[in-house]
Amino acid sequence: MGKEIQNNEIESRYLIDKEGYFSPEQKERTGKKSREMANNVIEILRGQKNRPKTMHYFDELLSYGGKRIDEIISFRNSGGKVVGTTCVMVPMEIIGALGAKGVRICSGYYECVHPSNELLGDAGLCPLVKSTLGAKMVSANPLMDVLDLLVAPATCDGKMKLAEMMEDWVPVVMLNVPRVKTGDTTSKLWLEEIKYLIRKLESLTGERLRKKYLLREIRKWNAANRAWNDLMGFRLAKKPLISGRDAMIIAQASEIDDIDRWTVKVNELNQNLKQMDDSGVYAGEENAARVMLAGSPMIFPNFKIPTVIEESGGIIVFDELCSANRILNNPVIVDETNTSEIIRALAERYFFPCTCPCFSPNDERITRLKDAIKNYNVEGVVFHTLRGCHLNNLEGTKIELVLRDLEIPMLKLESEYDEGDVEQVRTRVEAFVEMIKARRKVKRKKKKK
Amino acid sequence: MFTSFKGRQIRIFRIPVQIAVLVFLLGGLYGVTSFGTSPLLKRVFLPNASCRYIESAPTYCFFYPLQDGLTTGFGGYFIDAIFLVLIVTVLIIILGRIWCSWICPFGFMQELLSDLRNKLNIPPLRLKWTHRVLLRQVKYAILFFTVLISISIGISALGLTETQATFALPFCQVCPAKGFFTIFQQIGGIIPPSTTLPFIAIFMLLFFIFTSFFTRMFWCRVCPMGGYMALFATRSLVWLYKDADKCTKCRICLRVCPMDHDKVFEHMKTGDVGGEDCTLCGKCVEMCPEDGCLSLNFMSKRLTVSRKPKFRGTGKRISIKSEISRG
Repeated sequence: MGKEIQNNEIESRYLIDKEGYFSPEQKERTGKKSREMANNVIEILRGQKNRPKTMHYFDELLSYGGKRIDEIISFRNSGGKVVGTTCVMVPMEIIGALGAKGVRICSGYYECVHPSNELLGDAGLCPLVKSTLGAKMVSANPLMDVLDLLVAPATCDGKMKLAEMMEDWVPVVMLNVPRVKTGDTTSKLWLEEIKYLIRKLESLTGERLRKKYLLREIRKWNAANRAWNDLMGFRLAKKPLISGRDAMIIAQASEIDDIDRWTVKVNELNQNLKQMDDSGVYAGEENAARVMLAGSPMIFPNFKIPTVIEESGGIIVFDELCSANRILNNPVIVDETNTSEIIRALAERYFFPCTCPCFSPNDERITRLKDAIKNYNVEGVVFHTLRGCHLNNLEGTKIELVLRDLEIPMLKLESEYDEGDVEQVRTRVEAFVEMIKARRKVKRKKKKK
Repeated sequence: MFTSFKGRQIRIFRIPVQIAVLVFLLGGLYGVTSFGTSPLLKRVFLPNASCRYIESAPTYCFFYPLQDGLTTGFGGYFIDAIFLVLIVTVLIIILGRIWCSWICPFGFMQELLSDLRNKLNIPPLRLKWTHRVLLRQVKYAILFFTVLISISIGISALGLTETQATFALPFCQVCPAKGFFTIFQQIGGIIPPSTTLPFIAIFMLLFFIFTSFFTRMFWCRVCPMGGYMALFATRSLVWLYKDADKCTKCRICLRVCPMDHDKVFEHMKTGDVGGEDCTLCGKCVEMCPEDGCLSLNFMSKRLTVSRKPKFRGTGKRISIKSEISRG
């Protein structure tokens, strides 16, 4: 770099050189490897047993540089604004009501970790954060280059500083998330933050938030919530009709897709699953161990752990990840129909039922897990933490103790954005699945007695 | 009226009941006088219903015999009144504060005021927690002072008997319902315009119409009849049940509750979540988006249960044929 820097010339706080830091070869290599990885994961997903054909739509949507990117680019070229989010706590309805498109930009590409490793040198930092930043640095994710604004709720430390670093390329609106849920100020503070977000978005799009459009968007997302609930119903069956990975990519697709089209496609898929249900076809192996996935988010294509679980004789029947079930878990219930009350309803929907470990107290997470274990007849829980995700790691211990009382086995896994530990994970998961199946026999014997 | 995003399963039943009660109890206001003359009905008092100041009301609200009995000293009428109040107390123990949201005409008026405010696109004024707690105590204070004044007048040794002319029925003099019904009857020509209407009653009427318009159910929060009911309404035969295992703590119940009854949200043990503020209107049960989380019960029978919402235009819910795995 070597340039003489004067105080008033400093425009970026992290001094990430936009142009010359990474060679074009490196950028190209990262892009190529990311594409390969996405394609590989999709190949594996397509190889699943009894996979409905409708799933191809979601594969294509998430694949690297797919059609959706072209749509977003042409939308932007025609004057529309694209708003990126880094978290599930951003009300997508508000973005939609102002005529902008919301996309979640969290990255799951392994190769993108290296550029930010080079720059930050922090091996203990969350790989999701590193990958997202790296994808921007080497322009490896086309979605990142079309953003007009980034909305970043300051949830965990990693996401907070990620947003700060992203400010080098794109204007960022940071939302102050009150991290203690109890107390009188919590609700007020978050509501004020949402109003601030609305103001920022209004000045971006040059439109005013209108009740008519807000209600229209809420209807759309509620219809999506309903379709998702129907889909979750197929995972309740004794022989689940859809695999956990498929459900995960469907949920993640909702965050970048046009939500109307997504709902239509999911309803179509539901019809297909219904036909499968009638003809007695099911997903996964016979007598698969019913596993629940909890912990840190798993963003496509970081599907290492779910793939291992479902390849070694388990099936994911429920997940409590902010990259899957938590996206569409709750509907927006509007009671009073004036704009400020609708905004309150929206703000509360995105804040209070959220079971992110950054909140304290977070008893509702344990309640949710317990309820799901009962409803979905979960036989074992795989608790996954990304390296450096202290919040999930700490809560994992608490959850382990609760599950011990319920006599549900739990496997705690720590992972990196790296293919290196796959075999190690596989050994542990296989043993875990075997153990679940062995427990089943013991239970059956007990019942007979 | 029904602009919500979820069905109003309970309010659809509640509104006809409220209208029927309104016509029956306040029949005199609308020129329906046929039930007004029955002497039998005049002896039956309901926890909160019609008003003494309506010419041809079939029955009165129980607060009138309570005050009247205490004010007139320990004569024969006192025993009578106590007997009636006891009947009312038994009714409250059986049905809880259900009187407030299903029967009380004044509560119905306030609901209509809230609906009007919503139609006019004005958001409700939400009270601070400290103010809510304060109002909760105010209703007991009004109840206490009403009884105190009535008893003081009734005990002849205290020498306050001559004030009876002015201070008889101390609460009725300030009750906004009196002003409301008296003005209506004067307009309708049912009672002569010269009927005394204390200035304070008009003031209270205007004050509560104003506050109830902006804050949902403002009068209900300070109503001494409600206070009397709240004393017995810990766990009635009709009660609100919450399955805490299914609660996601989304705060919808607290947001939609017209009485800001926070126990329904905060209580995280499975069981009864009603209480002194809950009028059993069932709005939280209507709005709760979790299957079987909240329910309105009669003894051990479930009257209605919260459900995952069926939004407009989303079609039928899919149910699967395969065997469902349950633990």
